[in-house]
Amino acid sequence: MTAVRCVDLCKTYRQGDQDIKALDHVSIDIESGDFVCLSAPSGGGKTTLLNAIGGLDRPDSGEVWIAGERIDTLDKGELADLRLRRIGFVFQAYNLIPVLTARENIEFVMQMQGVPPAERRQKSEAILEEVGLGGMGGRRPAEMSGGQQQRVAVARAIVSQPELVLADEPTANLDSVNSRELIELFKTLNQRHGTTFVIATHDELVMKHARRLIRMLDGRIVDEINQDDA
Amino acid sequence: MSGVVRISAQLAWRNLWRNHRRTVIMLGAISIGAWAMIFLTALSQGMVTEMIRDGLSVLPGHVQVHQADFRDDPNITNYIPIPDSEIEARLASGDFTEWATRINVPAVITSERETRSVTLLGIDPEREKGFTFVELDTIDGRFLDDVADTGIVIGRRLAERLETEVGKRVVIMSQDVGNEVADRGFRIVGVYRASLTSYEDNYALIGKRTAQELLGVGDHVTEAVVMGDDYRDVSAERAEVESLFAGEDDVVINDWKELDRYLATTLSAMDGFVLIWVVIIFLALSFGLVNTLIMAVFERVREIGVMLALGMKPAAILWQIVIESMLLLALGLVIGNVLAWVSVLPIRDGIDISIVSDGLEMWGMSNRLVPDLRLRDVALANGVVIVLGFLASILPAWRASHYDPVEAITKVE
Amino acid sequence: MFLVLRLAWRNLWRQPKRTLLTTGAMVFSNVLLIFMISLQFGMYGLMIENGLKVFTGDLQVQAPGYKDDAKMRLTVPNVAGIAADVRAVDGLDAAARASAFALASSEDRTYGVAITGVEPDHEPEVSSLPGLVKEGRYLDAPDAPEIVIGRLLARNLKVGLGDELTLLGSGVDGSFAAAVVTVVGIFETGVPDIDRGMTAMPLEYFQDMFYLGDAGHMVVVTTPTLADVPAAMTAVATLLPAGEDLVVLDWDTLEPGLKQSIQADLSSAIFMYFILVVLVAFSVLNTQTMSVLERTREFGIVMSLGLKPGRLARLVLLESALMGIIGVVAGALVGGLVTGYFSVYGLTYPGLEEMAAQFNLPGVMRPRVTLVSLFSGPLVVMLFSVIASLYPAMRLYRLAPVDAMRAT
Repeated sequence: MTAVRCVDLCKTYRQGDQDIKALDHVSIDIESGDFVCLSAPSGGGKTTLLNAIGGLDRPDSGEVWIAGERIDTLDKGELADLRLRRIGFVFQAYNLIPVLTARENIEFVMQMQGVPPAERRQKSEAILEEVGLGGMGGRRPAEMSGGQQQRVAVARAIVSQPELVLADEPTANLDSVNSRELIELFKTLNQRHGTTFVIATHDELVMKHARRLIRMLDGRIVDEINQDDA
Repeated sequence: MSGVVRISAQLAWRNLWRNHRRTVIMLGAISIGAWAMIFLTALSQGMVTEMIRDGLSVLPGHVQVHQADFRDDPNITNYIPIPDSEIEARLASGDFTEWATRINVPAVITSERETRSVTLLGIDPEREKGFTFVELDTIDGRFLDDVADTGIVIGRRLAERLETEVGKRVVIMSQDVGNEVADRGFRIVGVYRASLTSYEDNYALIGKRTAQELLGVGDHVTEAVVMGDDYRDVSAERAEVESLFAGEDDVVINDWKELDRYLATTLSAMDGFVLIWVVIIFLALSFGLVNTLIMAVFERVREIGVMLALGMKPAAILWQIVIESMLLLALGLVIGNVLAWVSVLPIRDGIDISIVSDGLEMWGMSNRLVPDLRLRDVALANGVVIVLGFLASILPAWRASHYDPVEAITKVE
Repeated sequence: MFLVLRLAWRNLWRQPKRTLLTTGAMVFSNVLLIFMISLQFGMYGLMIENGLKVFTGDLQVQAPGYKDDAKMRLTVPNVAGIAADVRAVDGLDAAARASAFALASSEDRTYGVAITGVEPDHEPEVSSLPGLVKEGRYLDAPDAPEIVIGRLLARNLKVGLGDELTLLGSGVDGSFAAAVVTVVGIFETGVPDIDRGMTAMPLEYFQDMFYLGDAGHMVVVTTPTLADVPAAMTAVATLLPAGEDLVVLDWDTLEPGLKQSIQADLSSAIFMYFILVVLVAFSVLNTQTMSVLERTREFGIVMSLGLKPGRLARLVLLESALMGIIGVVAGALVGGLVTGYFSVYGLTYPGLEEMAAQFNLPGVMRPRVTLVSLFSGPLVVMLFSVIASLYPAMRLYRLAPVDAMRAT
């Protein structure tokens, strides 16, 4: 089954007096349960593609389908709902809500989905255990290291079992040890829950672990490698 | 949906205390503003209440009946063309707190040494005891006994001016019903005090029957008055008096608001003043409030972006900011209300403002200012702050909810 | 110094919205203060002018005790002579008066009235009343049996020009005093009490009627401006005949209600203004505290470069002062324009006429824009703004450069 299908996506930004083609006729299919890495130098279009897939940004032309549903035509409210129920996000850094504890950050999405408190509590405890943060649920982001914060972000992304997790440079602010651990966590979750992962990065370490590596340059897909051994 | 409301409220509360210095400063401003709104309003209302009470006490009678020409030409010839006994019977049949009939004419009073012009009231002391401006407990000598009392009661100031006292004689001159000068000697039986010294200067009281004899009007009076339960609204009493005197051609019925335009205007202007004062204070506060909200949103652009990306609806973001603002206002209002109450409490029996008494007398006010803390005004002040505060929060909140999540997340600090 | 000023100015516009809102609060308050203070000045000025010009004058010579208790026998001897002496002083106008209560009877009506004996030649110099005669004429002969009365009294007495009034009263010795006089003029001041109860007769005729001889009750004096009153009092005091017990009283003593009612009004107004100023100060406190907090890191860096905290504190105060100056300038501009408009075209609202009549004021208010009304409020706002930023400025002294640099 196809988790993500992009057809002929185009997106142009104006920067100063220059037009920048962030996406230039991009088409890809991502199978359900895949572990995909989008890699490109800065400004290569990987974040734009990720945002288009996540319904955060609308392409100028082309189509985006998530699990057989076309999403580039949805309105803002429907997109918000799509993100809330079917997609998990992990951003570069500072993506936790500072006034909420780790557990509350994890429960935040479930709370908006209307999950009952007891179930929320149980799920969040379980996922904290799973990402290796058992007992740290009461801490606020400021009281945790960068690596721990990213684990919380991952836990929040997957706790309501979305079909798709999108991560944008998740290791950019981490050292190599923490980066490695985060990737391990991604892979484990991918295998255990069958969640599709799409990660935009230019971190070699992450690319190495991708089952499918898509390289982009100037808004175009220039290379695709399947690394089934990864 | 309740999950979203809960999380919005929770975030709002926590965010409120994130920058506690800013919150405390804003709370201080809102509390002082709310305190000033309520405290000054209580004082002003107290002033107006006092003014109207004093003012109405010299015009005793919330609803008054006169002959049609009497108010333009306050002369004994313009007496009410209905026998007094008949008027009394009609008023007695009504459901009134107090009522009375009296003679009210201009006169000249002469002592051995001085001559003054006064307003001569011929009253039924039994009926008027309940609401007269004469402070009965501090009277020198005695009050009038009955309608046929042959003595006269004058004010303390007038007695001083006339260089006379209880027991001495004065001559009253006025005009009788036949346009002849009517004069008669009276023995002063009482000297009274009143809340405003101008009353003590202006009013001399004699028995109604004696006045009727002096002026030759037989069984007639110049005015009939009725007191209402609440001076603010005397429409019921007025309607009843109107029905009692329905069909009488030569009679006009007025309530005090028509009789004293100054007092009536002051009363209604006061409500306007309270509203203007509350709105001005709010406007002065609103700059700080909007400022705080804009800063709060500005500092949180990135996390607002994250929340939007995670699928929080823009409306929920908007509510989150609005709730934060409402919490701030509500807290400030609570403190302000308590402060106002606490500062009114020790002066609830009134404060002495006799230092400017002559000036206040120009306004028709006595020397005591009793704050009048009214639920209605407190509700108005709080209501205005909440409603306008809500409106003022909408703009920054709306802007926050319409951030583009992609731009918001990538915003550099 | 110029550099610091430029730095302060630039800092203000790093957060343009915040600065605009804070100065907006200042401008709002300043405009309000200017308008209200100008309006009060206008009102007080009118209250004093109307209160004094109609009748009281700026100062009076009386017998001691007459002010508190206007008794017939508390007289000023040779009253016209003293008035003439005062008139000889440069800049002063004066007129002699006597007054009494009497019963005035027309054919149909009788009312008690206050009668003032006046010098027809000089009364117009000290009182606006003669100019308010709307029908007939003012008095002209010093000893004619004539009277001018108010419009309401004429209506109550049912008399017109040329009708006769019988006056009954008691003379200075307590004896019976009576006269028959002709109504030659009817005035209208718009103040009900005056129009209903006041009358004027020629002084000499009055003195004959009440057996006063050459005595009267007061010499009314007016000065070019109220500021000249104290000097005039001294000058008049030296003119008084030796051996006579007489006092010179200024308007404030004669009409204590006037000044006190202004004071009472002023004190409640000052309370309101103070609250406004405090709220603006809070706004500034908030802004400057935040702005200092945001710049902790930056301040740490410049302090580690050797800048003393005092200079930084001064910078913060200067920023507040700059906002205050914007507030003063913009406030004076907008406030001056708004207030100026109303001072030309007048301001009224429903009910004002009834309220104003109580204080002898017209139903249209005109604010008076002066330098004081234009700048006193805004300058106080500015002062409090600078005071409010003392707290954030003082915090800089407690800043350790190393910690500050680490702050985010």
